[in-house]
Amino acid sequence: MKMVYLLGTTLLVLLMVLSQLEKINKNQKKDKVVLIVFSVFGWLIAILLIFFPDVPGPSELIDVLYKPLGKLLE
Amino acid sequence: MLERGKISALQMAFMMNPTILATGLLLVPAITAKTAKQDLWLSPIWASFIGFMIVFVAYRLHKLYPKETMFEYSEQILGKIPGKMVGAIFVFYYFHVTGIIVREYGEFISGTFLHQTPMVVVFSTMIIVSAMAVYGGLEVIGRCSEMIVPVLLVLYLVIFVMLLKDLDTKNFFPMLENGLGPSLKGSVVLQSWFSEFILVSFFFPYLRDHDKGMKWGMISVFSVMFYMVLTNVMALLLFGKLTASLTYPVMVAARYISIAEFLAHLESIVIALWVAGTFIKITVFYYVLVLGIAQWLKLSDFRSIVLPIGFLLVLFGVWSAPNLQVLSHFLSTSAPFYLLSIQAGIPVILLIIAWIKKKRQQMKGKLIG
Repeated sequence: MKMVYLLGTTLLVLLMVLSQLEKINKNQKKDKVVLIVFSVFGWLIAILLIFFPDVPGPSELIDVLYKPLGKLLE
Repeated sequence: MLERGKISALQMAFMMNPTILATGLLLVPAITAKTAKQDLWLSPIWASFIGFMIVFVAYRLHKLYPKETMFEYSEQILGKIPGKMVGAIFVFYYFHVTGIIVREYGEFISGTFLHQTPMVVVFSTMIIVSAMAVYGGLEVIGRCSEMIVPVLLVLYLVIFVMLLKDLDTKNFFPMLENGLGPSLKGSVVLQSWFSEFILVSFFFPYLRDHDKGMKWGMISVFSVMFYMVLTNVMALLLFGKLTASLTYPVMVAARYISIAEFLAHLESIVIALWVAGTFIKITVFYYVLVLGIAQWLKLSDFRSIVLPIGFLLVLFGVWSAPNLQVLSHFLSTSAPFYLLSIQAGIPVILLIIAWIKKKRQQMKGKLIG
């Protein structure tokens, strides 16, 4: 089942990148790089979440930083 | 300039209203009731001060750098590398917060309406619609909200009117039992909602009528405060001490409406209100994130990164919390300080530094002259 998710996500990301790459002007190299970097970043997070759904997320990170202040409201 | 569209100040006010209210209306009464008890209707009034302050700060910054948004003038104020770092904080922050909003939307829809649908599907459908609006640019979002928001505001009043006969004013008392303390404490969470008004600083440069920006910004803050007070009064007078234990008081209140056994099941109106309001809210945050990244990395067009960022937002929605209880706890403890420090703290620091810089330049000008 997880393999199906993986394949589906990969296909989706590929379609997204290919459909958008066409629209970017040839001279805009930076735009292309940014598009690919964000897509690959999304793909990596998607894989991470498919195989390890319980991995600590951004909210946990913020919770660690702001815990002393947050305690005031409990 | 990345964005060539222009909106009017009125459209901005319409856009900002559901941007604060959409998630606020459903979650806020319960969260404030936990600390403020029967004084919860006072909390939005205290919290709105931060909204007025932030619109003022955003407008002052806009006056100093009229054609730029936060991502651009932070580089001018702080210098290149610290400016980019502030941009990075904002990019991470908007990814995270938009993820949380998408999650709140998904939790609500799958919790009250679509029980069997996987949440990712609920997220994705909303993100696809928002992506289309963001792709269209600022003018499209402005016109969408000009169409949707007045209807929302009127319908919401209709729900309140229909509940009038069930309201019990005894629940107001004892008023200020423990002084102002509890209502002030309850307003901390609301302040984080009001601090989201810093989003206006991303719209000020694209206003057709610049001078009215401040006025309509303030009116928008006031309307948000009015609706929050109305919601809290409604929840308090209907449920009394029960409010704190409900997850979505407004939803339960709408279920409660039954006039002559003819007008009943009005919760469908609340769902419609919520979906339409959240659409504007997610679109505004999504747009600011996309525009911000494009300005931060100095791209030639923001449209090419709309889809990858939408994909990331779905993932952040999944990732931001394991379930509603954890999310609600996060929103009522650590999140207010997180939101306030970024949405109110950073702009105020930027404004102070910009003012000092300007004063210094004037002094230098005088010395030379």
